[in-house]
Amino acid sequence: MTTSSELNMPEIAMAEKEAGKWGMVIDQDICTGCQACVAACAMENNIAFVGEEDSGYGRAMHWIRIERFWEGEYPEVKMTNQQPMMCQQCGSAPCEPVCPAFATVHSMAESLNLQVYNRCVGTRYCANNCPYQVRAFNWRDYKRPEPLPNQLNPDVTVRRVGVMEKCTFCIQRIFKAQDQAKAEGREVMDGEFTTACAQACPASAIVFGRVDDPQSLVSQLKERSGGKTHLKELGTLPNVTYFNGG
Amino acid sequence: MANAKQKAEAHHDHHGHGEEHFRQKHLMLDPLPRGRMNEMVMESMLEKPTWKFWVVAGFLSFIVVYFLFYKWGVLIANGQGEAGVMRPDYWGIFLVNTVFWIGISHAGTFISAILRVFRAEFRRPFTRAAELMTTFGLVQAGFSIFMHLGRVWLAYWLMPYPNQRMLWPNLHSPLTWDLLAITTYLLSSTMYLFLPLIPDMAMARDRSTGWRKTFYKTLALGFRGTEGEWAHLRNAMNIFAFAIIPVMFSVHTIVSWDFAAAMRPGWHSTIFGPYFIVGALHSGMGAAVLVLAVIRGTMKHMDYFIRAEHFDAIGKLMLIISMAWAYFFFNDYMVQWYGGDMWTKIMLHYHEYGPLNWMWFGMLFCNVVLPWAILWNPKWRSTPWLVGFVGIAINIGMWFERYIIVPISVTINRMPFTWRQYEPGIEVPMGIGTVALFILLYMIASKLIPLIPVWEVQEGQMAHELKKFGRETVVSVSELE
Amino acid sequence: MTETESKVVDLLAVFSDLGPASDAVEHLRSLGVHDDCMNIISGVPVTEAMLGRPQQWTNVPRIAMGGALLGLGAGMFLAFVTPFLYPYPIQVGSQYPVPGPPTVVVLFELTMLGMLISTFVGVFLDSFFPNYRPMKYVPEISDGKIAILVECPHVEENKITDALKKLGAESVKPAEAQHL
Repeated sequence: MTTSSELNMPEIAMAEKEAGKWGMVIDQDICTGCQACVAACAMENNIAFVGEEDSGYGRAMHWIRIERFWEGEYPEVKMTNQQPMMCQQCGSAPCEPVCPAFATVHSMAESLNLQVYNRCVGTRYCANNCPYQVRAFNWRDYKRPEPLPNQLNPDVTVRRVGVMEKCTFCIQRIFKAQDQAKAEGREVMDGEFTTACAQACPASAIVFGRVDDPQSLVSQLKERSGGKTHLKELGTLPNVTYFNGG
Repeated sequence: MANAKQKAEAHHDHHGHGEEHFRQKHLMLDPLPRGRMNEMVMESMLEKPTWKFWVVAGFLSFIVVYFLFYKWGVLIANGQGEAGVMRPDYWGIFLVNTVFWIGISHAGTFISAILRVFRAEFRRPFTRAAELMTTFGLVQAGFSIFMHLGRVWLAYWLMPYPNQRMLWPNLHSPLTWDLLAITTYLLSSTMYLFLPLIPDMAMARDRSTGWRKTFYKTLALGFRGTEGEWAHLRNAMNIFAFAIIPVMFSVHTIVSWDFAAAMRPGWHSTIFGPYFIVGALHSGMGAAVLVLAVIRGTMKHMDYFIRAEHFDAIGKLMLIISMAWAYFFFNDYMVQWYGGDMWTKIMLHYHEYGPLNWMWFGMLFCNVVLPWAILWNPKWRSTPWLVGFVGIAINIGMWFERYIIVPISVTINRMPFTWRQYEPGIEVPMGIGTVALFILLYMIASKLIPLIPVWEVQEGQMAHELKKFGRETVVSVSELE
Repeated sequence: MTETESKVVDLLAVFSDLGPASDAVEHLRSLGVHDDCMNIISGVPVTEAMLGRPQQWTNVPRIAMGGALLGLGAGMFLAFVTPFLYPYPIQVGSQYPVPGPPTVVVLFELTMLGMLISTFVGVFLDSFFPNYRPMKYVPEISDGKIAILVECPHVEENKITDALKKLGAESVKPAEAQHL
């Protein structure tokens, strides 16, 4: 097979080289759809409490969601696997170039899509151009009912009205672990930390780690056959791999 | 014997049109002394507003204050949640209105620049009326896009200027190009409105008193009409007429790229640029003809300047543009349909069989069926109220088209879990507010600015004459420039 | 030469038609009035060729060209310089800091913006707008009359006045600068 770099397509080659420092593997076969990851993510990342009415109108603010599908016509309905969906941290992200304010940019050090809240002016173009529809917008200044204000995570900014946000792969945990490792003069070890969703998953359906390290658990899981990335045909080079029906 | 004579006369009338016939028909062949035309234009402007004018203006002001500004305050205070936008319809009616108003603004430039470049003489009496539409339409487009911003108070961050935040706008983003293009277009169309207005301001200055004298004197800038002043003005207007055409094309092309550059089924289409331009001209001409019909019906002496021939000429243009729109629409549809991409197919299916399919069919009816059915007939398309009606219909159709492209199409994306139908909220009253502001600005302008470029009309009348070729009398135009 | 002889007066002759006005221009020239001492004021753009006058010099196209270059420069600054003014490199998507096609868009828009603004400013510069000083003018001009503003020596005033009247001028009088 001819690779793109052999064909001398510099932009794709650049992105492919960029792709992957942190990655995730999600095994849909063992996901029970319990929503523990959704709750853990909301707690960890100070996600606003939207409330019933707005949630019902498609404004639910979650950085990770469990998509449910079914097959067949009623009454012969068969549930298919649950599909946790969050920012795929694309290597070549469609959301990035369209922001007029550089509020969503690529972190070359961490190979992640960054969302810079205080730069965002709220054009919502990034969300429109995200093929995975994983971006969440602060439609209002939502009030946190008691006692939720008491459990805000001090490591994460609280976003206000008119700002776009999305999954960061718990970048605050990444930095904490890196700082710790640096202080101790070593590299970050595999499994030393993980994202809130992976930590909360009772079935361990979500595994997070360094995909550029072939020894890591996530790399080894990723190498199994049958792994897919979503909407591969778009060339977004996502960093989340799904296993379904394997 | 008498019968035969009558017959001969009738025959004569039918074939060799008398001069009187041409005079009635063509403004350019029906010259009045310049002083009289000045008087008429001044009277139309200074005419004491009737109680109806005040009632309409008061009503519109109420709508502007309450629906546009008060509701905007509510929107800013409470966030975009007041509008109907959500996932996946991150963009809603605010952007529909932005595209709609930019479309309306294209008619002004089309009439005053393209028709000027091609020396279409019928344009002369209404170039200004059309240019005013451009400027006022762009104001509404600007308002609409600012309403759409989540944090509008930070909109100045998009302007390129050195700042302590060390922020420059992202030139990769179609929205940044949009900002540059719309700014360019708003500034240049306002300047292009103002340049030909200077001689008319001087005319108004010479025959007014009181505060109006000060107003016109200030805006006439001391123009007398010396050779030098005319030469500079003529040169500048020539440069503008040619240069503003590519600017106009670029503006709506870039607006279309806001959609076409996005990676979405139904949007990612290379034909969107010209398709949007033609759509803009379609709605723009519809609005222009409507404005002309209203001006002619409500303002004094306007039936001298704006005649059936003008509606006939614009009607022909509308018919051609409607055909061009149908051509581009079909192109876009055909290729997307044939391409067989699953998501695009679902989206097209949603257009035609979805809950809002009446909009899709309504669009085709208003944009194609109705104009074709009415505008082919010279007599019908010379009837102001009828062409005005077609103009309204086209604008409704074109609004539907933008509604289908924005909130209906974004309902369908590649993540079926998120599909959801859009329900407009505060956008509706605010959109009505922009319409009211547009009409209100126009009403105020009609009392302050000579709507007819008198000197251009006189220049045209100087250039036109009737010429005889054998028995046939024809209109001939000499190129004075 | 005494002081009164060298005094220059301005005459404003008003014509109602192009023909007599162009005859007057020619006749004035034969009377020894230089083209630079005449000016035509009209309510419609009367071209120089119609009255047999020399072509007017205008700087507007040159100013426009200069503005276009300035605009292009501003566009180049935005497109090629600002991406590197950040204290750290910014990457979006997999695009280069200076992307190809978008650069064309930016250069085009700013070139046009520079050109059109400077064309507009050019009219102001060339015509000395805005100018609210008293000027030699009669309001009939905007009613379609054509006025010839002649600058002639005091001694020739009567001669020229008679000649202009004979050629069909509606009125010829010494021009007085007045507030418009």
